[in-house]
Parts: sequence; C-alpha cells; structure tokens
Amino acid sequence: MRSLLNFLAKYNHLIIFLILEGIAIYLISSGNSYHNARLVKGIRGLTTGIEQKMSNARTYFSLREISQSLAGENASLKNIIERSGVRQNLFISSVNDTVHKQKYSYSSAEVINNSVNRQKNFFTLNKGRRQGFSVDMAVIEGNSVAGVIVSCSENYSIAMSLLNLDFKLSARIKSNGYFGSLSWDGRDPYHAVLNEIPQHVSFGIGDTIETTGYSAIFPEGIVVGTVSSFTKTGGDFYGIEVLLQTDFKKLHFVNAIVNMEKKEQLELENLFQ
Amino acid sequence: MINTILRFGLFFIVLVLLQVLLFNNIQFSGYVNPYIYIMFLLLLPVEIPGWVLLIISFFTGLTIDFFSGSAGMHTSATVLAGFVRPYVLRVISPRDGYDAGVEPSMSAYGARWFLIYTLVIVAVHHTALFYMEVFRFSDFFTTLFRVLLSSFFSIIFIFLLEFLRKTK
Repeated sequence: MRSLLNFLAKYNHLIIFLILEGIAIYLISSGNSYHNARLVKGIRGLTTGIEQKMSNARTYFSLREISQSLAGENASLKNIIERSGVRQNLFISSVNDTVHKQKYSYSSAEVINNSVNRQKNFFTLNKGRRQGFSVDMAVIEGNSVAGVIVSCSENYSIAMSLLNLDFKLSARIKSNGYFGSLSWDGRDPYHAVLNEIPQHVSFGIGDTIETTGYSAIFPEGIVVGTVSSFTKTGGDFYGIEVLLQTDFKKLHFVNAIVNMEKKEQLELENLFQ
Repeated sequence: MINTILRFGLFFIVLVLLQVLLFNNIQFSGYVNPYIYIMFLLLLPVEIPGWVLLIISFFTGLTIDFFSGSAGMHTSATVLAGFVRPYVLRVISPRDGYDAGVEPSMSAYGARWFLIYTLVIVAVHHTALFYMEVFRFSDFFTTLFRVLLSSFFSIIFIFLLEFLRKTK
C-alpha cells in the first residue's frame, strides 16, 4: 500500500497527464465522424450568440456583394416563373400534380459561422429544427454545392462543408454523364478532386461538373465546378481537379434542400442491399 | 497571490478573445493558422506545480475547443504542451536558475532564451494539433508544411504580444 502511494506520488505528473489526455482523446473519438456533433446540443448554445453578433458585423462589410448576388438570383427566379407560366397554360391539369408531388423543398438560411482553413470544416446556419431543418439536408449557394447538414439544435444547424475530408459526393461530367466520387483533398479552399472517371472517357479542361442525384441528398444537376486539370492515376482512372464554383470564403446566404421522397427511396434501396 | 490570479485571469480572457475573434478568422491560403492562446501556458509562473499546470492547460484547450467547435483537438494538444513545459524549462534553465515569483517572460530572461522556449512549446503544440486534426499520415508532408508555417506565424505574433505587454 505504502509503495503504491509512493508510486502515485512520484509519478503524479505523468498520471494526471495520461488521465487528461485520455479524456481529450475520448472527446475526439466520440464525435470523430462529425467531430463536433456531440458538442452542439449543450455548449454551442453559449457561443452561437457571439457568432451571430460577429456575423452581423461581417455582413455589414459585404453588403454590396450580397445585394449583387441576390439581384442575380432574383433575375434567374423571375425567368423560371416566366417559363413555368407558359407551361401552366399548356398543361393546366398537371400543375396540381406537381405541387402535391413536389420532390425537393427549398428554404433559405444565413451562414453565421464558417471556416475554410481547417481539415474538417463546418459552418453554422441560423435556422434549426424549429424552422423545419433536419439532418441530411443539402445546402447550396446560388446553384452550387456548399455542404450537408449534420446536426440541428432548436434554432441552429451545423453543416459539414464540402471542404471537409469526410465529405463525399457523387458527381458527374455534364457533357458525357460519366460519374465518380468527389471529395476534398485538404489543400486549398478552391479545388476538390473527382475520382473514378475511367480513362477512356473524353473531356476537356473547363467542362462542368454537376451532382448526379444518386445520393438522395442533393438534387440532380447542382453545379460543383469546372475541370481545371487532370492526371492519370493508377488503376486506369483519371484524377480530376475541380475548380469549385462556390467561394467558401464568402459563403453567406444559402438554401437548404430537403428531399421529401428520400425515405421512400432509401427504404426501397435497402431491400436489395 | 490574489493579484496574480486576477492578472492571469484577465490575460486568459484577452488571449481567448483574440484567438477566437481574430486569429481563428485569418483565412490565408489554408496553411497559416496561428494559435496564440498557447502563450498563456508559456507565461505561467515557473514554480507552479505540474498537476495544476496540467489542469489549467486542460481547461484552456477545452475553452478554445468550445469556441471553434472541435471536440478535444485543442485539449489534447494543449495538455501535451502543459506536460512537456516543466521538462523544457529544466533543460533550458539559465545559469543561475529561475528567480522565485518571476514569470518566464522575455523581459526576465532575455529574447534569445524566450525564443528557444517559445519555439519548443509551440512546435510541440502545433505538431500534435495539426496531426490530430487530419488524423492520418497519408498527407504527411502537407501537414508538416502547415505545422511549420503556422508555428512561424504563431511565434511572430507571440513576440509581438510580448512586446506590447512589456511596454504596457
């Protein structure tokens, strides 16, 4: 007993170190896939207030750019209304149908905290469960991919940014339809990598990369970016570097998309897996 | 004693706010992320018991983790830095030892001594932090580059703050 106490007294420094480090590692591993999802519920409430204030200050400095992008979006929405008006006249009966069988529903949100300089980036949105947000909703800015919601509290949501090593997206080359898996390599916030495109496929620099809609999270045809360079990797595949359309450093007003038929699709797919 | 605790409490709050509001928002190429809050550990008195230092580092890291939404990463790196600090201090101790009640700062032991001290602790902290963040060795040299650049800038900012503190 005495020698045990002596041992503890002699190595107390090391023992406390190991205990505290153990707690830290436990914290990391318990929330590793989504890293901070665990902390969201309790503690994020304390800091989101501050983040909201900081975001307000930052918005003020970029008002001009924000209003420009909103004006652009308005114009494109007006175009869509024009077009759908024409269609309404042609197929009156189908209008009710499309309303009831609407597949995706959009709602806007504001990014109040964002980072691009880590390896696993997340951003915070100012809406949560109370506003109808839920986990696995897609987040887009304009018409380009931004991220996926991984956790919701009452009034806030955390989204995993495309700039996250854990982010995977099914994307295809628009011109020929070949699809592969898109992920971020952690190097800089402007480029991502599209893998698994076979080498017999022909495409060029500047070709558009868009989502496939296979994941049941992102709708089909959301733009990811353009091909900026490509190399032949081992195993007969191309490694394509994609210049991202979204400027993550300026991410501010985004839309979250919920796929209302997702549950149905997944249930059916699970039958065969 | 109470005075010292108050002073360090204030210093802690200033450093955390600086880190969270200013340095976490530096978005320069993704390679440069200075973490200056580690300066708080550097300046704690030399005679502080090892276990107190460890607990202080634990809560420092935890605070930063809460604000940057990264569970445990900063905590583990900061606890490691707090663990090695006594050994570093022992190895680089000045010829006539440390004076009681004097904090290990630039004004007390000179710029050269402080540079070595800062360099070692920042290097340990940043290496642990960045490798913990990627959690894999596949991009070993990219991460190493991030460690080196960020350490360089952290040290510069810590020196700037130290000059400011001295003139205050």
